[in-house]
Amino acid sequence: MIITRKYLPRRTFLKGMGTAIALPMLEAMAPALASISPATKKSPVRLAFVYVPNGIVMKDWTPSGIGQDFECTRILKPLESLREDLFVLSGLEDHNGNALGDGPGDHARAGASFLTGVHCKKTAGADLHAGVSVDQIAAQQIAAATRFPSIELGCEDSRTVGNCDSGYSCAYTNSISWRTPTTPMPPEINPRAAFERLFGTEDLSLDPKIRARRAQYRRSILDLVSEDTRRLAGTLGPTDRRKMDEYLVAVREIEKRIESAERDNRGLTPGIEKPAGIPITFPDYATLMYDLQVVAFQADLTRVSTLMIGREGSMRVYPEIGIPDPHHPLTHHRNNPEWIEKVAQINRLHTELFAYFLRKLKSTQDGDGTLLDHSMIIYGSALSDGNRHTHENLPVLLAGRGDGSLKPGRHIAFKQGTPMTNLYLSLLDRMGVHPEKIGDSTGKIEHLSEL
Amino acid sequence: MKGKNLACTLIIALPLIYLAVAASERPGQSPQNPAIFGKSIQPFFSENCYQCHDAKLKTSNLNLEAYQNAASLTQDREKSERILYKLRTGLMPPKGVSRPDEAAIKAVTDWIEQELEAADRLIKPDPGRVTAHRLNRSEYNNTVRDLLGVDLRLADDFPQDDSGYGFDNIGDVLSLSPVLMEKYLAAAEKIARTAVFGAEPLKPTLVRRPSPERRIVSSTTPLFDYDLTGLSLPNALHVTHRFPVDGEYIIRVVLGGVRPAGSEPLEIGLWLDGHQVQVQKFDPAGIASFSEDRQDFAGMRQEFRARVAAGDHWMAASLLHLYEGLPAAYGGPNPSKKPPPPPPEFKPPPHLPPQRIEELRKKFEARRSEKVAANEARISSLEVAGPYSQTKGPPAGSPKKILVCGHLDGHHQLGCARTIVTDLARRAYRRPVTPQEVDQLVKLVSTAQLEGDSFEEGLCVALEAMLVSPHFLFRIEKDSPTPTATSIEASHPVSQHELASRLSYFLWSSMPDDELLACADRGILRQPAVLEAQVRRLLQDPKSRALAENFAGQWLELRKLESAKRDRQRFPEFDEYLRMSMRRETELFFDSIVREDRSILDFIDGNYTFLNDRLAKFYQIPGVKGAEFRKVLLTDNAQRGGVFTQASVLTVSSYATRTSPVLRGKWILDNILNDPPPPPLPDVPNLDEAKIGTSASLRQQLEQHRKNSTCAACHGRMDPLGFGLENFDAIGAWRTQDGTFPIDASGTLPDGRSFQGPQELKAIVKAQRDAFAECLTGKLLTYALGRGLERYDKPTVKKIARGAAANNYRFSSLVLEIVKSLPFQMRRGVGEP
Repeated sequence: MIITRKYLPRRTFLKGMGTAIALPMLEAMAPALASISPATKKSPVRLAFVYVPNGIVMKDWTPSGIGQDFECTRILKPLESLREDLFVLSGLEDHNGNALGDGPGDHARAGASFLTGVHCKKTAGADLHAGVSVDQIAAQQIAAATRFPSIELGCEDSRTVGNCDSGYSCAYTNSISWRTPTTPMPPEINPRAAFERLFGTEDLSLDPKIRARRAQYRRSILDLVSEDTRRLAGTLGPTDRRKMDEYLVAVREIEKRIESAERDNRGLTPGIEKPAGIPITFPDYATLMYDLQVVAFQADLTRVSTLMIGREGSMRVYPEIGIPDPHHPLTHHRNNPEWIEKVAQINRLHTELFAYFLRKLKSTQDGDGTLLDHSMIIYGSALSDGNRHTHENLPVLLAGRGDGSLKPGRHIAFKQGTPMTNLYLSLLDRMGVHPEKIGDSTGKIEHLSEL
Repeated sequence: MKGKNLACTLIIALPLIYLAVAASERPGQSPQNPAIFGKSIQPFFSENCYQCHDAKLKTSNLNLEAYQNAASLTQDREKSERILYKLRTGLMPPKGVSRPDEAAIKAVTDWIEQELEAADRLIKPDPGRVTAHRLNRSEYNNTVRDLLGVDLRLADDFPQDDSGYGFDNIGDVLSLSPVLMEKYLAAAEKIARTAVFGAEPLKPTLVRRPSPERRIVSSTTPLFDYDLTGLSLPNALHVTHRFPVDGEYIIRVVLGGVRPAGSEPLEIGLWLDGHQVQVQKFDPAGIASFSEDRQDFAGMRQEFRARVAAGDHWMAASLLHLYEGLPAAYGGPNPSKKPPPPPPEFKPPPHLPPQRIEELRKKFEARRSEKVAANEARISSLEVAGPYSQTKGPPAGSPKKILVCGHLDGHHQLGCARTIVTDLARRAYRRPVTPQEVDQLVKLVSTAQLEGDSFEEGLCVALEAMLVSPHFLFRIEKDSPTPTATSIEASHPVSQHELASRLSYFLWSSMPDDELLACADRGILRQPAVLEAQVRRLLQDPKSRALAENFAGQWLELRKLESAKRDRQRFPEFDEYLRMSMRRETELFFDSIVREDRSILDFIDGNYTFLNDRLAKFYQIPGVKGAEFRKVLLTDNAQRGGVFTQASVLTVSSYATRTSPVLRGKWILDNILNDPPPPPLPDVPNLDEAKIGTSASLRQQLEQHRKNSTCAACHGRMDPLGFGLENFDAIGAWRTQDGTFPIDASGTLPDGRSFQGPQELKAIVKAQRDAFAECLTGKLLTYALGRGLERYDKPTVKKIARGAAANNYRFSSLVLEIVKSLPFQMRRGVGEP
C-alpha cells in the first residue's frame, strides 16, 4: 500500500498521524534485490579485472606444480582456501608493453597495453593513442542489460598531469580501461563518489525509523512554510511576489520528489554504509573498493568492472605493514635482498586483499549459486619482474566459474609468449561477446573448461 | 521618563529626515539665463561642430543645428550627455581640427552640466524599490554564525550566486532554484542539529592536496641570506584547506626532490594561518630510493598531528634552514657533521655486451662528477587525514544563543518551548514575530515530542522550519502604512527593523545584533545621533571585515585572483603563496581605510601598505622578515602606493601571458573614474600575440589599432591610462624591459594631459577626485541597496559624493551619507510606477 498525497492530506501529520504514514517508508527499505534478479532467471556472467602495479616477486609467486597439484606459494598463500575457485596462469605475455624501438617507458606501456594488447603511441601530449580495452569491448556489447555498462575504480590518486614516464602521457598510467583508442576511462578513486553514482545521494546510514520520522518532520515543515509563504505573497507587490512564487515552485518540486520516491518502493539497498570519503589506511581503502564492486554486481547495476589497486610507477608507502619506502623505487631493488623482501610483502598484502574480495563474492548468494560462481575475475600485473621491466610470463590469476564454463583449481602453464589477449578472447566468448581480435591476439586459449 | 522622551523624538525624527531629503531634492527652476544658449552655446557649436554635425551631414547621427534653444537640447538627455562626455574627455573636436581654447570648452560643458542638473532636480524624488532579497552565500554563512554560533559555512557548497551591476547581492538577480531549496533543507537540518547536539561524528577520511607545479631554479651554491622559515621559497607548499569539524588531524607531508648524500636530516615545518605549529626532522637514510649517490625524497613522507578548528585554514609545509646541514664541501652555513659517504662504485650489470657496459660506465662517471643541487628538496603534496577525537557537543556559543530559558542542562519547563522559539524566531526573522507565527513553530516542537522524540529533537524541527522560512532566507520589506505615508501607495520610510537589516547586511553581510535590534525595538534607530553612533559601531566591529571580503572583493575585482592563471614559463614566481599574499595585502589595505576611517583618496595614492616577506621581496622592499603581514610605509617608494600599484589589481587586469594596457585602462575607467567604456565592437582584429616583445612592442601594436577611428573613440581613453602602468608586468612585478623593448610608461589623454610613469598617472587620476568619489559612491550605494542604480538615483550619488568631499573624503562620511540618503531610508510605494 502506498499512501500518496491524493489519499492523505499532508496536514494529517500535524494532527498526530505520523506513525501511520511512516509505514510505507519502511517497506521501501526492504531488500529489493529479489525483484531485480529473480531466482528463476539465469544469472548473468560478470567480468572483473583487478590490476596491481610494478610487477611481482616471481620466485615467491609461481607454483612449481602444474595442474591440480599446484602449491600455494608465499604470495598466493592468502588464497589457499579459495584454490578450488581459481586458476594460476603462467606463460602469458604482454608483448606490446616492450620498447619495440620506443626506448624507456615500460611502466606507461605496460599500463596502456594490459587490457588493450596495443602498443601505445609515445606522446606526452594530446595525440594519445592506445586501443579499446577488453572490458569496454564487453561493456559496449552488453550495455543495455544494466544501469551502468561498466564501472572503473581505483585506489590511487592520479591527478598528475603531463609527462609520467619517460615521455609518455600520464593517461597511459592513470587508466587501464579505454573506451576508444583515444578515450581513457579514468577510474573513480573516491568511494563516496562511486557509491553516490551507484545508489544516489540519500543518507542511508541512519536508522530507517529515524529517517522516516525526519522525512515526516520535513514534510510538515514544507507544509508550514509554503502556507506561510502563500499568505505572505498576498501582501507583497508584484516583483516581491515573483520571488515568493519562485520559492513556492521550488518547495513544490521537492514535495513532488518526495511523493514519487514514496510511490517507487523498489528502493535499492546497497547493503553497505555510504562511505564518508577515502579511508585513511590502504587496506581499508582497498577493502571498501572491493565492497563497492560486490554490491554493484549483487544489485546487477553493472556486469563489467575494473579496479586499479595502484597505477604503474606507484609511489605508495605501506606503513600499515611496516614499509615506509615508496613502492616503485623498492621494485628497482638491484637484487638487494631486504628490498626484495619488502616488495614480496607488498605483493602478499595485495593478494590478501584480493582474497577478501573473492570470499565476499563467494559468500554472496546469486540466483542458483554464488556471485563468484557467476564471475570471471582476472587479477594481475602487466610486468613480471619490476626490477628489469619484463613483459613476459606475467603473474595472472583467473578466479570464478564463469557460470560453469570454467573449471578452476589448477595451475596452467601456457607456452611462453602466448598473448594475454588470447585469454581475454576466450573469456568474452563465455559472455556471448565475439570480437574477431583484441589487440595482438592470435586466437583463443584452451584448457579453461576441461581438465 | 526616558521612554517619554523617546516617543517625542520618534515623532519628530521621522518627518525630519523625510523633510531633509525632500528639501534637498525639491524641484527648482533652472538657475540660468536661457539667453546664454543663444549667446555662447550655439555660436560654439556652429564654429567648432557644425562642419560635421549639421543638418546635412549628421555625422554619427548627431545634428546640432536641430537645437535652437536650451530646452530642446537638455530635453534630449541622451544626446546632451554624449556631447558633454565627448567635449570633456577631449574626444571632440577630433584630432587634426583646430581646437577651441580650454576656457571656451569649459564654459560649454559647465553650462550643459548645470542644465542637466537643473533638469534632474525636476525629477520627482524616488527612493526606488528593492526586491525581496535572498541571502547570498556569504550572508547566509554569516547569519547562521551570528544567529546560532554555528560556523559551518555550508553555503560554500550552494550553487554560485549570480551577480548583477558588479555585485552578487542584488535582490532582482538572486534567484531560488529547486536545487538550492534542496540544499537549504539539508543545510537547515545539519545546522539545527549541530547547534543543539553538536556536529555529527565524522568518520576519518583522507584528502590529498597536490601541489600546483612549481619551479625550483636548481643551484649548487648554498645561500647565507635567505628565508630561514622556507615559507617564501618555492620548496614550500601552501594551500587553503577546509577542515570540516573541530578535531585532531594527521597531516602527512609528502616530499620530493633530491639533496646531496651525507646531508643532515631535513627540517620540516608545519604552519597554520601563518603560525608555526610543529617542526620535525626527516632522515631518508635506509629508505628505498632510486639513487645511491644522493638523497632522493620522491614519495617519502613525514606525519604531523595537530588540533584544528573547523573552517578554512591557510596550511603550509616548508623546509626550514634549507641551506644548512649540507656536506661541508658545499661551503654552506652550519654544514653537516656526518662523515662524507663513500663514493659509489660502478657495478656492471651481468649479461651485457662489453660495449654496452662501457657506455653505462661512462654515464655513471659523468653522473658521479656532477654536483647534486643544494636546494631541490621540496614538499610535493599534503595529505590530511581526520578528524580524530572530534570535539563533542554543540559549539561553545550555541547553547547560550538558543536555550534562553536558562536551562542549559535539558530540564525544560512547560513554557520554555515558547520562550525559546519566540526569541529564535525574532532574531532569525530580524523583526518582532506574531503569536500565530510562534504557535505554528511551537506546534512543531510538541508534535515531535508526541512522536516520542525529545524536547531538543523538537526544537531542531522548529529551528529547521525557521531556517527554510522565506522570512529567514529573504529580506522582505513590507509595504505598510506609516506615520508619514498614510497609504502603502506612496513612498514611505522602511520600518525600524528593515532599516536595522539594511544597515547590518550593508556593513557586516549579516543579521543585526542584539543592540541594533534593540534600537529598532525601541524605535530610536532613526534618531540622527543614534543612527550615526550605530554606523560607527558597526564599522569598528571586526565583522565589518565583510566589507573588504565582499565589497572590495568585487569592486576591486580581487575575487578574480583565485582563478587567475599565469604562464608558468614566463611567471615562475606566481605560486600559491604569492597569490594568497596579494589578496591579503589589498584586503588589509581596504580594511585599514575602513577601520582607521581614512580618506578614500588613499585608494589612489595611500603612502603605506601591508606586506609579508614574500610580497616585500616581490616588491623589492627591504626589511620585512617573517610570514605575518605588517603595515609598511612607502614614503620614499616611487613604485608602489595605492590600489592600482598593488600586485592583486595588476594581476587581475592582465592576461596569462602578458600585460594589457587596454584591460588596465578599462579597470581604472570602470572602477575609479566612473567612466566605463562600452563593450568592444564585433569584428575588431585581434592583437598578433606572437609578435609582442619580438618584432613589435605592445605599444606599437596598440597604436596601430588606434589608427582605426572607431577603435580610437574608446581606446584613446583606455590605452594611455594602461600604459602608465606598463612598468608592472602581468603579475605586478616592477620591470624596465618588455622582451627586448624598453618600457615606455608615458601616456597622453585625449584632452592633451600627458604623464610619465605610475606616479604622474596617480596624480592625474587624483585630480579627478570628484569622479572617483562619485564612482565609489555609486558602487557602494549599489552594494548597500542591493539594486542597480537608476537615473533618479543620480542626484543622490552626487549629493553623497559632495557630502564626503566636505568631510575630507573620510570613509565613514561616505557610509553615513549613504545611510542617511533617500533610497536607503525609504521605499517607493506599491502604487507608484
